[in-house]
Amino acid sequence: MKTEKRFYLNIFYVVIGAALLACGVFEIVDSFWSGMGGALIGVGAIRVFQFVKFRKNPEYREKMDIEYKDERNQFIRLRAWAWSGYTFVILNALGTIAFKIAGNETLSKYCAFTVCIVLVLYWVCYLILRKKY
Amino acid sequence: MKNKIEEIRKEKGIRQEDFAKLMGVSRQTISSLETGKYNPSIFLAYKIAKYFEMTIEEVFIFDEEM
Repeated sequence: MKTEKRFYLNIFYVVIGAALLACGVFEIVDSFWSGMGGALIGVGAIRVFQFVKFRKNPEYREKMDIEYKDERNQFIRLRAWAWSGYTFVILNALGTIAFKIAGNETLSKYCAFTVCIVLVLYWVCYLILRKKY
Repeated sequence: MKNKIEEIRKEKGIRQEDFAKLMGVSRQTISSLETGKYNPSIFLAYKIAKYFEMTIEEVFIFDEEM
């Protein structure tokens, strides 16, 4: 049922994407929205294609099931998110200093603010997870 | 953590692909387990030991210094 809902949601993405793209062609919306439409069509179409293949090909279904449920893959996915988040914070912290030295106050503040938001989010997530486990 | 998965699996004549299917994981997971790159969850360790009709301690070697 959940998969069915996702299938229809992705068809909806393709329809919305096509509508945005058409509006872009007739210059009703600007290039930002038509670009967004193209991205929606791309993502939606790939998902719909995967869903159809998942339905029709039992071998593919089994392979995808194992790939998704495999505990090492789950572990790697979580580690990748953790590394990405950690790298993002470090890069923004370095950016805060680098932009300050370069005299770009706006970007320096933007980087500092981003670090603060991520750290607050981290603590909120930490407190939630500590209660959960 | 070191383990005897590869040794026992070969003794039983099971291929990595087939063993992975039986355990419900990918072949890469079995490969990583055998080379000691990845430590399994307690559920997978139990499932592997149960399949081999052994205890977890017989399959996995706990090293306190690690």
